[in-house]
Amino acid sequence: MRHAHRTHGTNHTGKMFGRLLTAVVLAALALVFIVPLWWTLASALRPAGSLYEYANPLTWRTFFPSRITLDNFINIFAHLGFGRALANSFIVAFGTIAMGIVVSAMAGFALAKFVFPGKSIFFFIVLLTFMVPFEAIVIPLHLVVKRIGIVNTYWALILPAVGNGLGIFLFKQFFEELPTELLEAARVDGASWLSIFTGIVIPLSVPAVVTVVVMMFLFQWNSLFWPLVATYSSRYQVVQVAVASHVTAEEAHWANSFSSAIAASLPPMLLFLGVQKQYVRGISSTGFK
Amino acid sequence: MDARRVGRARVDAPPGPARVWSESMFRDSRAAFWFILPALVFLCLFKIWPIAVSLGESFMQTSISGRKSFVGLENYAYLLHDDPVFWGSVRVTLLYSLVINPLAVAVSLALALLLNRRKWYVGFFRTLCFLPSAISLSVVAVIWGVMLDPHFGLANSLLRMLGLQPQPFLTSSGQALWCLMAMSLWRSAGYWMMFFLAGLQGIPQEVYEAAEIDGASGLTRTFRITLPLLARTMSFVLVSNTAFNFLTFAPVFILTKGGPMRSTNMLMYESYKSAFVNIDLGRATAISSMLLVVILVISIIELRLTRASFQY
Repeated sequence: MRHAHRTHGTNHTGKMFGRLLTAVVLAALALVFIVPLWWTLASALRPAGSLYEYANPLTWRTFFPSRITLDNFINIFAHLGFGRALANSFIVAFGTIAMGIVVSAMAGFALAKFVFPGKSIFFFIVLLTFMVPFEAIVIPLHLVVKRIGIVNTYWALILPAVGNGLGIFLFKQFFEELPTELLEAARVDGASWLSIFTGIVIPLSVPAVVTVVVMMFLFQWNSLFWPLVATYSSRYQVVQVAVASHVTAEEAHWANSFSSAIAASLPPMLLFLGVQKQYVRGISSTGFK
Repeated sequence: MDARRVGRARVDAPPGPARVWSESMFRDSRAAFWFILPALVFLCLFKIWPIAVSLGESFMQTSISGRKSFVGLENYAYLLHDDPVFWGSVRVTLLYSLVINPLAVAVSLALALLLNRRKWYVGFFRTLCFLPSAISLSVVAVIWGVMLDPHFGLANSLLRMLGLQPQPFLTSSGQALWCLMAMSLWRSAGYWMMFFLAGLQGIPQEVYEAAEIDGASGLTRTFRITLPLLARTMSFVLVSNTAFNFLTFAPVFILTKGGPMRSTNMLMYESYKSAFVNIDLGRATAISSMLLVVILVISIIELRLTRASFQY
């Protein structure tokens, strides 16, 4: 690619044209992705009564509020219980992560480093659950959760996400790269499996842990369908359900839609921007192994 | 740099992953059992059991008094023979899938090819494209819902400014599904782009250098080298995306409730309505069982495709 113009004999004008075209395409791309987000942010920061006025007709004021206020945010926290919803989502996400990391890493370790009877059956179950998307079993899962008697509790939101086929698979892939000799040496020295797992395996696997943590966080933070089905009282309302409940066409609700959309997106966005490289490497590795 | 390089590049390619076989594994079955036990319990309780329940309930009918009776394949037979609403949903879901999936592959691949260069601005654009996938589908639906508002939405303001007719968007049965497609594309293109970028970075530079010596132009190289070598990534993205889009729920629930005139009444939403609005569990689980089977078939194809690696 570097020598394209030499061997291929493109002339100078052609190159300039190519550059111009790239610039135009990139600019258009940037607008497509950034305008909706920017408009949402600008509208969320604008006084609630003036939203329609600036949305149409389109002027530069549509994107740059003349007066910035946090009233819309204060409103959803003070009157619509959005703080509670945020807290619920954090509780659910962290509960899932705390249990899910332990469960998935343990299973991944057994698959990566042990031979045991029934291993292929277990691996088949892992693959099966990794392939069946959560949405596809929401309705029967509701019956199961009702049967267990945990419907409308935090447990109903947390427990079904703890056993995660993809998480187990990612850990297995990662642990396979760890040298078996190292674990063998510790074993010869008399270390228990538990201390090998917590003292050697996990500390050497921070990238895998980060990937699975982010994956589980985003999964729980973004889920709407399951919480909608599994809980019905506002005590357990999670953030996406709260966002979805603000959607109506009236102007007063526009303000709630905008501000709750922004507030709901900040945590995953900050998380994503913080661990972007590691996360992207993690998710894209699932497609190749 | 001569013709031999071409051969070298091919030979140097990894001969497939070096498998660690059982010689380097531990044979402590009891330890292994304790390590898999928690996962086994959780997977069986919350994944395997529901799958079994889904199949089981789909052969049952619940009477008004709450008594369940076995009806065999009746729920399926009814759906397939006498249920125009179900067939409407099948049509909508298929149309949605047939358009959005190839489109998503094409757009995300184009983005990856565009942003697969070493320039100072590339990181910024990659982050920008990926940003919508860090937002939940529900929030994206809310934002798009307001943008596409027929009276005060940004989209119509833009159309008016350009002197065009404002459009009804989500309130029209002819446009609603297409709006959902555009929305899905906007959110997911950057996500799949990342997979293509990873795939592109896995192609050895020597292959391009060799092609260049053979006089292949930029476009020829893209079509004759890059795309064939990305075949595996493409099939992976296509299939994952298909499974994902087949189960679209949040945008339908938030924006259209299946309407107008059932034009966006996708299968997942129809199944949800059947279970929680019409309280017809037999029908709901029959639909969700069919979805399960379809997804599993798609996934098995995925396994086949991604295993049939394209060697270079």
